[in-house]
Amino acid sequence: MVEQIERELLLPAGADEVWQIVTSSGWLAEEVHLELFPGGEASFDSEGCSKHGWVEEAVAPRPDEQSAGRLTFWWGTDDEPATRVELTLEPGGAQATRLRVVEARPLELLDVIGIPLAEGEAGGRGPAMLVAA
Amino acid sequence: MADDAADAVFGALADPTRRTVLSRVATHPATATELAVALPISRQAVVKHLSALADAGLLERQRIGREVRYRVTPAPLSDAVTWIAEVGAQWDERLASLARGLQAPNHV
Repeated sequence: MVEQIERELLLPAGADEVWQIVTSSGWLAEEVHLELFPGGEASFDSEGCSKHGWVEEAVAPRPDEQSAGRLTFWWGTDDEPATRVELTLEPGGAQATRLRVVEARPLELLDVIGIPLAEGEAGGRGPAMLVAA
Repeated sequence: MADDAADAVFGALADPTRRTVLSRVATHPATATELAVALPISRQAVVKHLSALADAGLLERQRIGREVRYRVTPAPLSDAVTWIAEVGAQWDERLASLARGLQAPNHV
């Protein structure tokens, strides 16, 4: 059973600008620190809520080539299993971007021990460190 | 999670083929025969992997007539509903604030 949340929104801005906003402090959390490469560290701190995790994939959009951007990361607080978030930024013209969000708990048990169900790219590094922390 | 249960899970997931079997079943509940068709391993090997995953509590068996269908052990429903409601509301709020920010008059 895959439990997931999906949202999609058309934004009146170029994909570059949206990428800048979603990867910076102020949106996902007040303080956002993201190492934008596979296996990079990720932390999200807001008043009363701190999450940390790791980056699975970070590909900046290239609007001139109509190429979509994708940021996939795992996050969780210390006392709950990590979840996987995938943000996709589809360029939709010079001043339009379709932002798609998918947050999933593929399988709670696997999250806890750090084995993402997604095939491939994880490179053996997972949210296990959330549990070990 | 108790240590014994965690050990059983780690053991069951140590094998890459078994992880592949699990990720397939997570998407679509399946029988051993269906999995053997989809994967480059024998039905006998599939059955072994499925048993190990079921023993670790990751999969459950569902008997339908003469078939045994495997699916991922579901989390308690109430928990899933709460999570979807809470986390969904957080995303609605985040997306609304993003849209507001981009439509604000000072935005170029």
